[in-house]
Amino acid sequence: MNSYYAANLLIYAGVDIIALLALNLQFGLSGIVNFSFIVFQSIGAYTAAVLSLPPDSANGGFQIYFGGYQLPFPIPWIGGAVAGGLLSIITNEVITNARPLVNGAAGLALVPPPFSDQIDPNTQSYQFLYVGITAVCVVLVFVLASRVVNSPYGRSLRAMREREIAAIAIGKNPVQLKMTVFILGGIIAGLSGAILVGFIQLWAPSVWLYPETIILFAAIIVGGRGNNVGAILGALLVPVGFEEVTRFIPTTIGPPGLIPALQWVAIGLLIIGFLWFRPDGVRPEPRRVFEGAPVLEDVDHARRG
Amino acid sequence: MLAVAEAPSAERPLLIASDIHRHFEGLHAVDGVSVDVPPGKITGLIGPNGAGKSTLLAVLAGTLPASSGTIVFDGRDVTHSPAYMRARSGLVRTFQLPSEFGRLTVLENLLVAAPNNKGDSLFGALMGKRYWIGDERRLVEEARALLQRFGMSAKESDYAGNMSGGQKRLIEIMRALMLRPRLLLLDEPMSGVHPKIVLEIQHYLQDLRAEGLTILMVEHELHMVERLCDSVVVMAQGKVIGSGTMATLRRQREIVDAYLVG
Repeated sequence: MNSYYAANLLIYAGVDIIALLALNLQFGLSGIVNFSFIVFQSIGAYTAAVLSLPPDSANGGFQIYFGGYQLPFPIPWIGGAVAGGLLSIITNEVITNARPLVNGAAGLALVPPPFSDQIDPNTQSYQFLYVGITAVCVVLVFVLASRVVNSPYGRSLRAMREREIAAIAIGKNPVQLKMTVFILGGIIAGLSGAILVGFIQLWAPSVWLYPETIILFAAIIVGGRGNNVGAILGALLVPVGFEEVTRFIPTTIGPPGLIPALQWVAIGLLIIGFLWFRPDGVRPEPRRVFEGAPVLEDVDHARRG
Repeated sequence: MLAVAEAPSAERPLLIASDIHRHFEGLHAVDGVSVDVPPGKITGLIGPNGAGKSTLLAVLAGTLPASSGTIVFDGRDVTHSPAYMRARSGLVRTFQLPSEFGRLTVLENLLVAAPNNKGDSLFGALMGKRYWIGDERRLVEEARALLQRFGMSAKESDYAGNMSGGQKRLIEIMRALMLRPRLLLLDEPMSGVHPKIVLEIQHYLQDLRAEGLTILMVEHELHMVERLCDSVVVMAQGKVIGSGTMATLRRQREIVDAYLVG
């Protein structure tokens, strides 16, 4: 396997894992069905791209609004994460039609990757540096997401997911809970977009079509809702594994567009199959058994927390 | 003892609902109801199906907004407070249908209701386990004491969704008690429950009253109401048609005709 392909695969895996940990907080833990999830990731990518590009670039020099400077790493990534959290209502229409903002449907190209002024991004060592940075972000997000999932706050989110009206009756404010987890998920999704754009160096509306969200939902359903390890497994099995495998099917079979369309059919069947036969996913949400609990025969697989 | 807050002064009612209306389009589910709930007592709310009892309970708890009228709880007007704020202030309800958090364990169902846990905020969660474990341990002990009292210690690690109907009722009552309620609104706590557990629930409620907890309870089983309730409010067609002890009510012809056929 060539090393560029390996780096490519690892970075995509990292980006998908981060995105899925965010989606798991929203959908798996809190039961919020956010079909515009991909917008958060895309806003993060756009913001990181705009903040990375030099003043005289393809989008007509939007950077003059940032003082005309090319901002150093990690400011663009942080900007991407913040934007993902703050901007949830920017739609494909706005991006496509507001050409001076981010270059319309043509998108942004030649986005300088982090440290590109110091290290040549086309070298193998740079590829693995990028893998390393991505891995650090994955670990960081995993730790933060795990803290949320395993905390009393995560328990409140799960209670809201199970029965919102009963959660209200015990003093939980569902608007506040949903908004907080929505923003937190958005921040993490924005970060994943920022990492992706730094690597592929271009971003356009065609990259973040809405069906991409469906792939991420499929990954959560396959991996296991409400379980961070399940989210990681889902990322490795669906957007990375499933998509990579089907990439090798020759596209010359049948009429044009048949194979990509069948890929979507396969994703649909995967979701239906799991919901029917294994609704809890490969790695179901663990049952929380507390220290000092009476020992029961049927809790041997449960996690002690 | 454990989960009950200090009782308010005996002079004034803990809850005063005045001229409560709740309309659904043209239907007057609650039509000008006024109810006072005295502290430290169990007040029954009875009436035929469709009388508006559960709607009134939902309006008092804030789950449904009142179309008009005022609700004063412990001297404070809560008419426009959202349901979660009323729950936090000690006005806690249960539901007619089981409303456990199915994919949380029995112990977690209790813990999730406990206030004052430093880990129950995004900031607290992100600070990590060391930040909130002290609170968590204290609340686990408190919840286990309740489980022991209600005879459900052995079930603490089971999913609440796998419990029987009666056990789910007990979970709901224990969950409400974790909030340290001042007034407990119970919506048919005995419905669909095995007779053995009905008796248990009866004893628990009597004990809670003895500890100073105030209860307003919708119940269909009149013998249970007679045994448990200090006073009773009778509703029919969205209105209050009488109130007093069961013995007094049985002497009122209109009420007997409307509801008390037994």
